[in-house]
Amino acid sequence: MLENYAILPCNGLDKCAGVISREIAIKLCEEAKNVMICPVYARVAEAKYNKIVEEHALLVIDGCQTRCASKLAAEKNLKISRKISVTEEAKIHHIELKSDLRLLKNENNLIEKILNGLNNTDNIVTPPYDEIHYLYNFTYTTFQNGKFIFRVPTNPKIYFNENDCWAYVIGNRARIGVTDFVQQNLSDILYFTPPDIGAEIDQFGEVGEIESSKSVFELISPVSGKVVAINEALVTKPDLINENPYESGWVAELELTDFNSDKELLIGFDQYFEIMKKKVEELNG
Amino acid sequence: MSEFKVGVLSCSGEECLGGTISRLATRKVLEELKFIDTVTLCLPLYLAGGEEERNFAKVFPTISVDGCDKLCAKRSTEKYSGKINGFIDVSKIIGDENALNTKIVRNKDLTDEHHQMVDEVVSEIVKTISNISPDAYSGKTFHGCGCGNE
Amino acid sequence: MDKKVKVVPCSGIGKVYGLMAREAVLKTVIELCPDKSETVCLAYIVTGDKEVKEKIEGFNCITVDGCPKMCASKNVSITGGIVIEEIKVLDTVKAHKGKQFGSPTELTADGEVVMNEIAGKIAKKINEVN
Repeated sequence: MLENYAILPCNGLDKCAGVISREIAIKLCEEAKNVMICPVYARVAEAKYNKIVEEHALLVIDGCQTRCASKLAAEKNLKISRKISVTEEAKIHHIELKSDLRLLKNENNLIEKILNGLNNTDNIVTPPYDEIHYLYNFTYTTFQNGKFIFRVPTNPKIYFNENDCWAYVIGNRARIGVTDFVQQNLSDILYFTPPDIGAEIDQFGEVGEIESSKSVFELISPVSGKVVAINEALVTKPDLINENPYESGWVAELELTDFNSDKELLIGFDQYFEIMKKKVEELNG
Repeated sequence: MSEFKVGVLSCSGEECLGGTISRLATRKVLEELKFIDTVTLCLPLYLAGGEEERNFAKVFPTISVDGCDKLCAKRSTEKYSGKINGFIDVSKIIGDENALNTKIVRNKDLTDEHHQMVDEVVSEIVKTISNISPDAYSGKTFHGCGCGNE
Repeated sequence: MDKKVKVVPCSGIGKVYGLMAREAVLKTVIELCPDKSETVCLAYIVTGDKEVKEKIEGFNCITVDGCPKMCASKNVSITGGIVIEEIKVLDTVKAHKGKQFGSPTELTADGEVVMNEIAGKIAKKINEVN
């Protein structure tokens, strides 16, 4: 079942396709963990949806060839993870849409087919990695020990393992990296050995290495998946990890294999923050 | 974490021996005198706006150690933090002639006599820290939202 | 007119790289290029005193920074120095993977090797302009 998406329908009121678009969006939100974006409200007061688009992949549903929902997403600089055109789907399934604005047998049939298509994971076309938009407006909670500040992001889409690595999950992709605990302890990071693109990584498998003059740290992946990208900037500037390990210092991006299972062995901000604090205190006596 | 941490900002001036003595004395206090809990703050970083350095100086008492009577560390720290809980002018301890010596500045050139000077400055640093009023220790551990507001 | 190149290290006290920067600059201005260069204390530069501003503003300067924060380079530029070369200690350190360089108080033999390389880079630039 399609889940954890923000749904932006066109909401066209003068055509059947627009009514269908809205109905699909309502069903996706009622029947699964998806969130609706009202296109009218988004146009005039988009701030309401900032947090939602930060935390969810975006599904856009256009009723007709005018593609109002897609245009609105582009206007607001939102990255679209998936897109449906009701008119195109009607053609594919050989269903004729009438000018009537009511949802009758044909229209409901089309709605069911579109929903089945959305929920069929075989049909998911994951955009190339550079189309996935990782939004970085994180808030952090900090802990200070001596002069050193340790930050942990509070975003619920970020998961941690007890090896001080994090995964930021959007749709079926995740960016991974190390926490402040690691970069503070290593001090100036001088070398970065990335994982291979295409490598299949198990949860808790090794996924790259960073090194300072103090020691070497092997990243332990919080999630299982295939490496689809590495942060090329780290090859020449590994100190980006010191600068901001959660944003510009991300290490690799994985296409997830089985996040639902992986998630059971991961922890969220609340738990990780306490663990990190304890480690810092133990280290400093 | 100890509540009684003290930050030490040292000048490290390269132009004269006083800077070298200042730096070595500060390092010795940090590395060898475990009975007091000092944190060396990187003066260049502090001056350039280093968040960690300045946050520390806001919460914990801080002293400065200067190699000569220009008192650059003291003045610059007061400029940016407004608060110094003690300061040391190394030239007052080892004499102007020694402190302003521009010929001997590198670690490798130091003699036993110079290391004796380091020890004298160390004693003065310890004395200055001991004289810090207990009121100066806010003793807070900074723990708050990363936006900067406590 | 004083044509000496001003060489300014960061002298960061918390890391061995700050010590490397300091020692490399001192080696350069005392041993390698004493007639063509001189050092200026970074903390003194930041005070903004008239005397030090006159020493820096409009003059060729080489900065030597121990970490990516680039404190020396930033502050010398703000004061009006013409930074003709920004030397980053870590760029030289990276070529010596696996070695131990010492502490912020004292360099090991390997640390001295790196320090000498950095001093060589500084001297090379000074000789190019002077």
